[in-house]
Amino acid sequence: MAATMELRCWGGDWGLPSVHTESLIVLAYAKFSGATITVAPIDWTWKTLTGTVPELVYQGSTITEPAQILNFLRKQRFNADYELYLQPCGQIHHGLHALLEEKLRPALLHTFWVDAENYANLTRPWFASRSPFPLNFLVPGRHANTALSRILLTKGESPLHTITEVEGKIYSEAKECLNLLSHRLGMAYYFFGNTPCSLDAFVFGFVAPLHKASLPSSPLQSHLRQLDNLQRFCDHILNTIRVRYTFGSDYSSESF
Amino acid sequence: MCNLPVHVSCRSNAEYMSPSGKVPFVHVGNQVVSELGPIVQFTKAKGHSLSDGLDDVQRAEMKAYMELVNNMLLTAELYIQWCDDTTATEISRPRYSSPYSWPLNQILAYQKQWEVRRKMNAIGWAGKSLEQVYEDVSQCCQALSQRLGTQPYFFNKQPTELDALVFGHLFTILTTRLTSDELGEKIKSYSNLLAFCRRIEQSYFEDSQAGSSSRGYSKGPSLF
Repeated sequence: MAATMELRCWGGDWGLPSVHTESLIVLAYAKFSGATITVAPIDWTWKTLTGTVPELVYQGSTITEPAQILNFLRKQRFNADYELYLQPCGQIHHGLHALLEEKLRPALLHTFWVDAENYANLTRPWFASRSPFPLNFLVPGRHANTALSRILLTKGESPLHTITEVEGKIYSEAKECLNLLSHRLGMAYYFFGNTPCSLDAFVFGFVAPLHKASLPSSPLQSHLRQLDNLQRFCDHILNTIRVRYTFGSDYSSESF
Repeated sequence: MCNLPVHVSCRSNAEYMSPSGKVPFVHVGNQVVSELGPIVQFTKAKGHSLSDGLDDVQRAEMKAYMELVNNMLLTAELYIQWCDDTTATEISRPRYSSPYSWPLNQILAYQKQWEVRRKMNAIGWAGKSLEQVYEDVSQCCQALSQRLGTQPYFFNKQPTELDALVFGHLFTILTTRLTSDELGEKIKSYSNLLAFCRRIEQSYFEDSQAGSSSRGYSKGPSLF
């Protein structure tokens, strides 16, 4: 009897099992590879401030960061990437992954954490309501500061010094990235072959919050609405992972 | 690779002359363009491009691989140079501060180190160990090696921007003296990448070094 693996992550909303990109990546990959994991949301616990999310706990050891967690799952023989490596151009998934990190992540961080309207009306209330008192004052602010400094340090090189100048650049790069992904996906259900792989999990993790969240102001979301195949891709994967996750607390198990 | 005449000039204040603060930059007529991306676009606007023969799918693939190289190799190079204490103390700081006199050299070197460490912190590389960084570089090289296969260039017969970018990074890693040879060894274990670097060095740099000095190349390091 295999010991259960427990995943600590942010809880779900807006029709998603989790609102957090990294947690979504791990949840999607676990479903693709057939691993059974218990989801333990860190909402309303002190882990919202102290914990690194997502975190996989198995037999006493903890692993953080999606890439490490996916490696660990592969070592435990939960591998969704067989078909990927059989394809002649399968190695490009590294490149696409790098593209997501470089081009799409800054714009997503900006949309959710730096854009004043979205932050005030959606992100901060959500995270504040999911953190215990008095952390609800600290947690959203800390994430917003991290996001801003990350964008400025990686993209805000001279002559672009302020966030407004960087905005234009990161949004145009993100739109290009989404177009490239849409082009690459075409009419298929998944990016490589007929079964989903780790890259599908990563793209899902990045794009799904943008697709599902009701953002008051988002040029990036409007751009995504023009790319039907990416939206179809997210919905399809959501249906695929529509299972009952057992929750570690008093919740009744939910399906999405 | 585009056969454009270029005069290379080394200046210690190059970073400050550049419009974006980054080297390299080209000075053409009364225009100054810095960094690979803008320079490629600039030459394309003037009618010289290496990737005209690629279709849309290949061009997207090329962009993805270029992003991979930038994301992995460049970050790993910065990490090893500035976040690893031994390398920073013995090699990077002395080298960076060599054109200046005391105390400016100390200040600038520490400032650069602080800047790079801050950036590593922001993207989450600060917690990585040297072993993990070497592992990441190895994975990146494996992806490149598999894509290159037995072809002369990444997109078959003609060199493209990707070839130039990969050559630049790999050549630098192979010819820069560091505290340990592990990084160079990792790359040498992929024989087709090593052959690729040698081939490009031979085709594009050997001739000009042997020939006229009017080209302006100084005798630099070599893989041979």
